[in-house]
Amino acid sequence: MLFKKITLCAAFLLTSSLAFAELTVIVNPSNTNDLDAKKVQRLFLGKDKKFPDGSEVLAVNLTADSSTRNNFDEKILGRNSSQVSAYWSKLVFTGKGIPPKEVSSDAEVIDLVSKNPSVIGYVDSSSLIDGVKVIKL
Amino acid sequence: MKKLLLASAIAAACGPGFVSADIRINGFANLTAGFTTSENVDGAGNTTDLFGYDDNVDFSNGSLFAIQISGDVNEKVTATAQLLARGENDYEADFEWAYLTYSVNDNFSVNAGRLRLPLFRYSASSDVGYSFHWAQTPFSVYDVPFTNLDGLRLDYTNNIGDWDYTLQLGSGTYTSEIGGGVADGEDVLLITAEATYESFKARLVYGQSNTTFTEPTTDAAFAQLAQISPVLADKIALRDDSGTFTGLGLEYDNFTWFVSGEITKVTGGESFSADDNAYFVTMGTRIGKFTPSITYEARDGVEDLKFLEDIAALPAQFQPAATQIVVGFQNFFYEDYALTTVGLRYDLDSQVALKFDVSSYENKIQDALDATLVRIAVNYVF
Repeated sequence: MLFKKITLCAAFLLTSSLAFAELTVIVNPSNTNDLDAKKVQRLFLGKDKKFPDGSEVLAVNLTADSSTRNNFDEKILGRNSSQVSAYWSKLVFTGKGIPPKEVSSDAEVIDLVSKNPSVIGYVDSSSLIDGVKVIKL
Repeated sequence: MKKLLLASAIAAACGPGFVSADIRINGFANLTAGFTTSENVDGAGNTTDLFGYDDNVDFSNGSLFAIQISGDVNEKVTATAQLLARGENDYEADFEWAYLTYSVNDNFSVNAGRLRLPLFRYSASSDVGYSFHWAQTPFSVYDVPFTNLDGLRLDYTNNIGDWDYTLQLGSGTYTSEIGGGVADGEDVLLITAEATYESFKARLVYGQSNTTFTEPTTDAAFAQLAQISPVLADKIALRDDSGTFTGLGLEYDNFTWFVSGEITKVTGGESFSADDNAYFVTMGTRIGKFTPSITYEARDGVEDLKFLEDIAALPAQFQPAATQIVVGFQNFFYEDYALTTVGLRYDLDSQVALKFDVSSYENKIQDALDATLVRIAVNYVF
């Protein structure tokens, strides 16, 4: 009985943490562009290659095994990670686009964003975000 | 310096898709097993195949392995080569594509070399099984003898508000092996316009070329006919004849469900080749990792017999021989069929998909050739 209660509790915690996993889109502090969810989507789908001020964009993704990435794909790109992958497979093999570079941790995303004004990335909101600017979507 | 460090840092951190920041290696593979549920025997008692499949399980027809390498020559120029080995060609690797892209700016690029003709919605990725929901693209529409272009293609992409559009202009030549012969296209000109608005996509294509088809049996028969009537032989042969391609595609895909279709018309000018009208309509839904779908496709390549008046104008003693050749060849190349496919795609992960398709084939010329085709495929991209 007690065991049952614990598993139930654990299950609840697990689902609630999934449900509350929030995303934060980040850019370099020197980036003054006004970005909304639609613009972020266009940048990560390679539809726009420059920020509104005309400067170069280097979008950085988390690897497909990351739950933050899955969350980003669903919420911002509006499709699941397999569909995003199918989308890029159409462009890559036409030479029409190169998918965003992938890194495996939030820390790497933050590091890249803090060092380069062109980089845009996203991390789990619980990650410590120092030296970067948060984009409110 | 900082940029260089970042580039190498990113390259080092990246997955297997990136060897260095300058050279990109991607690849894809399809392993397709297919068979018909019964032997295909035509009215004359000959055993035949259905799109390369028969009642023995075949692993090669729809299978292929490919590697694509692209590298930045400089800031403006990219070189791309795709080495592809098809099971139907005993996995002999060939350069499917090899071209240079000159990016004039973010919107406009010029491509030169051997590249894919943008005829269909899935032209560019028709070999990349992972990019669509079927085991293979619909035969009736996609099975044409001209898929690649040796020449130039201009690509222009831009947007007006939420409308994204792409214009492509292709020009050059093509060569392809078909039906034991060779089809050559000269003076190819193709224009494609595609527009996307949220879940909706539409495309229009128009192309033309001067086409020549050579094949030993055909050539010998037409040479024979030329002895009776050089004019008629020239008419029936597909020799430097002006052919056209017209296509329209529509798609609605909101990622939960989709419906799309393409309709095409191929004309072969003044020759034995009848005009082909083909279309498909497909719809499906995505439920987690599963994508069940249903597709109906048809090709109608039958028209009234041509050149009968030319035969009637010949001296009576030559008419039987001329009829045999002129009518025989037109009949031989007639096609009229439909396929209904029920399919299921399963996304194993973001690089691997499994497919299971069952198709009911209806031959409208010979009922005896009706068949059921089963295909199971594994698609991989990296």
